[in-house]
Amino acid sequence: MSDELKSNTPQRPDLEPTASRSPVPIWIVVLTLTLLFLVMVYFDRHSGWFNSQVYGPYVSAEELESYQPKSGEAAMLANGKARYDQVCGLCHGADGMGKPNQAPPLAGSEWVNTKSFRRVASIPLEGVNGSLEVKGQTWNLSMPAMGAAMSDSDLADVLTYIRNSWGNQGSPVTTDDVKVIRAKIGAHPQPLTGEVLKALPE
Amino acid sequence: MKNGFRVFLAALIALGASWCGFVLAPVLQLGGTKQTTILNSPDLYPVGRPGEANQGLQVYRTHGCAACHTEQVQQSGVACDLVLTSAGNNPMAVTNAISSLKLNDLDKDAADAAVDKITAVGGKAEIHIVATGPDVARGWGRRHSIAEDYLYDDPVQLGSVRIGPDLADVGARLPDANWQLVHLYAPQSVVKDSAMPPFRYLFRIQKIGRAPSPNALVFPKGFGPPAGYEVVPTARAQELVAYLLSLRADVPLHDAPFTQPLAASKP
Repeated sequence: MSDELKSNTPQRPDLEPTASRSPVPIWIVVLTLTLLFLVMVYFDRHSGWFNSQVYGPYVSAEELESYQPKSGEAAMLANGKARYDQVCGLCHGADGMGKPNQAPPLAGSEWVNTKSFRRVASIPLEGVNGSLEVKGQTWNLSMPAMGAAMSDSDLADVLTYIRNSWGNQGSPVTTDDVKVIRAKIGAHPQPLTGEVLKALPE
Repeated sequence: MKNGFRVFLAALIALGASWCGFVLAPVLQLGGTKQTTILNSPDLYPVGRPGEANQGLQVYRTHGCAACHTEQVQQSGVACDLVLTSAGNNPMAVTNAISSLKLNDLDKDAADAAVDKITAVGGKAEIHIVATGPDVARGWGRRHSIAEDYLYDDPVQLGSVRIGPDLADVGARLPDANWQLVHLYAPQSVVKDSAMPPFRYLFRIQKIGRAPSPNALVFPKGFGPPAGYEVVPTARAQELVAYLLSLRADVPLHDAPFTQPLAASKP
């Protein structure tokens, strides 16, 4: 008779082992709760609240927002370039060299490198008709008021960009400057021509 | 088994929880990633790679480049630099003001306070946001990588080992196609002590015919093929280089801001 066939022995192999019911040791409970707490603190500090836009080293959307490059001169020029390429660059060229018989160059133009913004800001706001001398060449122009639809700040950025690009050196034009010029539309004879522009303060 | 149902339930909960954590949560968080706009510009980022560069991604994958190269720039911090844009009407006062100020490596509040101090004496200053960290210091990128960078990569070649440098921004860092080709053919000819193996089988050495091939490699002195021969890249090599040159992560984005120096205002 082999061992397997003995069924009534005290150590039955098919008997499932059982554990006695005893309470979980208190230190395990305390440790688990402490770890959970630390995990929550870590999440609070580093998760960015699961915002998909927040990556380390930023810890919250507010912090990320505060580090966005603010509108300084560089941002002004960048925005100005973007608007210029969209609106003005089609005729005046991305390099500011203009188009023969259509648009005079802005690079090195005496109408751009002025002391103040009075003349240069009036041109995009009102357009130019008739003859205008630029860099020793007479142009017969019919420029629509391309800048009239732009916001004051965008137009200011464009003018600042034009006055600081391609070798031009002019003072920046601010949003308030554009507001002033926009308020003065119609204060001088229309349409804007070379003579009218010359009458404006440089 | 006495507790079969309980064991099943416990396994289901354990696997389900990890599925939620590793699959569901990332999809909810980043599954809807789409093109974003570049800071201070109306342009979208990223734009899809041209076809040749897309082929190059498969060449990159075939040759196991990701075994030694990563495509993920890390950033450990962010700092503000002050840049004086105008000294105003009283340069002496501004000079005195900035001599007592720290101008680099500031946090946001300190930078704001410093700008206020400079503005108070009539000057003008700008805050430039700069990413910091070992990867940025090595010149591997200007900002950390974000999910949008990989929008058109299939499969994404993140990599995890850096035997070679990170390549997330290599197209902006080394934009010369000939340099890239020479580097693939003979890495040590352009990077001394490079650990990269040469990939000569991506090139053909051939006798110069009536005229040299227009796409023959231009080698630095002492590394070219023997006289009368030239090295021309195969289509694979050209695709791979097109892909490498398309790896650019050099524009500021909302999720990874930095101040872009302005190239456009130069004549």
